Amino acid sequence: MIFIPLLGAALGVGIALFLPYQIPITFAKYSALAILATLDAIFGGLRAQAEGEFIISKFVVSFFVNAGLAVLLAYLGDQLGVDIHLGAVVAFSIRIFHNLSLLREILFKKFTYKQ
Amino acid sequence: MQIQIRSWQVGVGLASMFLGMLLVFQLRTETKIKQNLPTKNINSLATLIKKLETDRTRLEDEVNRLRRYLHEYDKDDEVRSLRMASGLYPLKGEGIEVILTDASRELRAYEDPNLFIIHYDHLELLINELWAAGAEAISINGERIVTRTGLSCAGTTILVDTKRIAPPYIIKAIGDQKTLKAALTMPGGYVQTQILPYELGIFIEEKSELYIPAFKGSLVFEYATVVSEEELEAALSAEEKGTGDKREVLPFEDLFDFLNFRENGGESR
Repeated sequence: MIFIPLLGAALGVGIALFLPYQIPITFAKYSALAILATLDAIFGGLRAQAEGEFIISKFVVSFFVNAGLAVLLAYLGDQLGVDIHLGAVVAFSIRIFHNLSLLREILFKKFTYKQ
Repeated sequence: MQIQIRSWQVGVGLASMFLGMLLVFQLRTETKIKQNLPTKNINSLATLIKKLETDRTRLEDEVNRLRRYLHEYDKDDEVRSLRMASGLYPLKGEGIEVILTDASRELRAYEDPNLFIIHYDHLELLINELWAAGAEAISINGERIVTRTGLSCAGTTILVDTKRIAPPYIIKAIGDQKTLKAALTMPGGYVQTQILPYELGIFIEEKSELYIPAFKGSLVFEYATVVSEEELEAALSAEEKGTGDKREVLPFEDLFDFLNFRENGGESR
């Protein structure tokens, strides 16, 4: 199951290398948030799949809602002159670590039971 | 063999692809940002500034030395007083010494630190007050103030012409001690309106003997030329006749347009 995201990421990198696009400097902060949101979604999805409760609609909706909310917060922070986007960064990082630890637990259990 | 595609594989796979693309785009932007930042140049620029500053000091000393050499030749009284007025001689005399410092107490969280430090306009107003009170020569931190001296703000320091100075600011003024001191300390005067409200430090001392150095900068006139009185009169009267009362105060039709202009940051409609 670890091959799916790696394959996807490799494909994405391959496609992007052929596209001349680059993110405007003013949006760099927001796209960094989008990257974090995507990472969060990937780990969340893997964990849900490992727990056997992956629902594609939930996955898609939570990805877009999380990413949208993070960008909105960052924009609001820019307008107010407060670094709210740091809050989104911290929240995403915590979620990523949390998901990763749950995923690890599940995989460990599976592995030891097999033996 | 049957390959079964599950929804999570599509979802996670697509998300990973998106991540890969975003990463590439982001890295492109970040490398561009890093290339554009002149971090590498800052050090070499700093050394260049240092070198140029030492060069300038050396050249200033040379100018001073040559001027002293020149003094030997003009003992003429008029030349002497003109040179005194233009700041080419170091001077000595009675006067006052003013020391200005930033506010010394610790600020509370809601207080704007900008209000509690000496800005160039504090010095500007002080010099103006001293000239108005009849000072004959003024220096700030050893920099002679002459007719063409300008003070300006450069980040965290103050420039006297092109020389950087730092607190404490020591202003020496030759003139009548009592008059100069009174001009600064009178009710509603400089000290009361510019210093006390911001809790800045000021020390005024009457000195019976003050030494003020000569002006070290250049006195070359590049654009101005001398005209005779008659030529000036003719030119001024012609100017008056030419434009007369047709002179427009603002290059705009009405005041509203002017305000609009200012709000748009200087761009006309």
